Amino acid sequence: MALLNPRTSTSPSATRTVRTTNQSSVRRRNKLILHLLLIIGSVTMVIPFVWMLFTSVKSPAELAQFPPTFFPQEWHWSNYAEALDAAPFDKYFRNSLIIATGHTLITLVIGSMAGYALARIRFRGREIIFLSMVAMLMIPTYTKIVPQFLIVKFMPLFGGNDITGQGGSGWLDSWWALLIPGGLSAMSIFLFRQFYLTLPKELEEAARLDGLGEFRIFAQIYTPLMKPAVATVALLTFQESWNNFLWPLLVTTSDDLRVIQVGLAVFQQVEATAWQYLMAGTTLATVPMVLLFVMAQKYFIQGFTNSGIK
Amino acid sequence: MTSTETPAGAGLAARNPAPVRRHKYSRAERKLRRTGWLMITPALLHLALWTAIPVVATFALGFTNYNVFSPPQWVGLQNYVEIVQDPVFRKATWNTIVYTFWTVPVSMAIALVIAVALNQGLRFQKWYRTAFFLPQVTATVAIAMVWLWIFNPQQGLLNAFLGLFGIPGQAWLADPDWALWSVILVGAWQGIGIKMLIYIAALQNIDGSLYEAASVDGASTVRKFFAITVPMLKPATFFVLVISIINAFQVFDQIYVLTNGGPANATTMMTYEVYRSAFEEFRMGMASAQSVVLFIFLLFMTLVGRRATREDH
Repeated sequence: MALLNPRTSTSPSATRTVRTTNQSSVRRRNKLILHLLLIIGSVTMVIPFVWMLFTSVKSPAELAQFPPTFFPQEWHWSNYAEALDAAPFDKYFRNSLIIATGHTLITLVIGSMAGYALARIRFRGREIIFLSMVAMLMIPTYTKIVPQFLIVKFMPLFGGNDITGQGGSGWLDSWWALLIPGGLSAMSIFLFRQFYLTLPKELEEAARLDGLGEFRIFAQIYTPLMKPAVATVALLTFQESWNNFLWPLLVTTSDDLRVIQVGLAVFQQVEATAWQYLMAGTTLATVPMVLLFVMAQKYFIQGFTNSGIK
Repeated sequence: MTSTETPAGAGLAARNPAPVRRHKYSRAERKLRRTGWLMITPALLHLALWTAIPVVATFALGFTNYNVFSPPQWVGLQNYVEIVQDPVFRKATWNTIVYTFWTVPVSMAIALVIAVALNQGLRFQKWYRTAFFLPQVTATVAIAMVWLWIFNPQQGLLNAFLGLFGIPGQAWLADPDWALWSVILVGAWQGIGIKMLIYIAALQNIDGSLYEAASVDGASTVRKFFAITVPMLKPATFFVLVISIINAFQVFDQIYVLTNGGPANATTMMTYEVYRSAFEEFRMGMASAQSVVLFIFLLFMTLVGRRATREDH
């Protein structure tokens, strides 16, 4: 606001008025430049998505043209039905939806409890736990991925494994591997803790005086007060889970358990030239996130602003 | 690190120092502590199994030869010696550094400019913000798939666009000279959104009266930007820098989709080598050692970043 809005208080003196008019025309010009800049930028960001959508409805003949067309000459919406025949994108889509929802639920229940305890209950060892959680924030995926894979493979008593984890495939190629390891992250607990810290202490003191149990204070008093924060963590978790690629790629082999990102990558390797189908699948993989973001943008951004980035 | 809170119910105890009350209070506090542990235990178990143990195991496995099918063999530093001598991993390290060097500062600078522009109360700013953030919320694999098609030498959008200006097209991803730049372009393009959002949040926290005071003193817009905005954004810049470096060092999805590390290892990254060692060659020990090297790089970059942007106390 302030940056391009120099004080423009109306002034009785004629010279001041002239300067103000000058300034306002400068300001208009600056605004125009800004808009131009932002439009060019926005178009650069959005064009690939438009190109994806347009490609997904073009005919093979049109795709083979040189130079390529930008706007489709005819809109072949049937490409989508044909893409589903070429690869079960609907099944991939459903799998992704189940996993992202599962991860979000696990995070909301377990993560919020942990964040609440770290923020509002004093218990021995809390500082150590919090510090180690901050350390875990720093751990890159790739410094855990090999042992995570091995734990999944040697999970005792699952997938034909004996009690020592030998003999079978453990959780590999199962819903367990897709749902459990990615269900919770140190980041979500950290965010929850930051959110719970912002709420006033008086509430819990009053509630404790009234003899309310800690669980009810957590579930019925504090958590309802931070719906935007809960929405933010839920959204971030859902998005990350929906977009995750490496882990499902590593732990699943059967087509039935493929998530949409892995399904896309496999389809691309198998049918490298069917661009209209590939882009139809990509559109399916993209649309839920775009819709979710556009609808919940307020929570998303509000949450980011409140998450203690100061 | 954490806030300084008084023990729950301390006020109560202070007001009622009678022994009977105190006894009751301490029982309540014991119960509270138990609840605290109860609430955090599920999360702790999860993090222990899927983060803490794996990290320790990675460091341990780095000293072994392990192909999953037979028990691990202790080989000492052999993996690390091989990493240092391996030209492919050296290439991967260099590529990762080049990728990070170009994607992080470039998209940070662009994100800052956009954030400042979007903080002026312009019309349509919500739409602009949505547009810039869109690539961030969509999956990297899906994004990369679209760019694979954009980079297509014959039917791709990029060469067609360049052709409008008479600029000859390239075989972007197949050309060793262009492949890494193409990957960098995608990374920078996708990374703008999150940085912009954090900058916008930080800008809204800057006290508007600072700008007013500067205006009274006759400071120009540019001067105000460098004298107020940039210094006030230092903590946000550190935050953005650290998470961007961490993310950039872990670039994988777009490499997998766009180039598979090729052509001739021109775009292979440290993460991609970890993946190759572990899941194509089944050398779990080697992959672990490589990921330890990646981790050390990240730690080093974070510390450098902290030093560079540390607030002067």
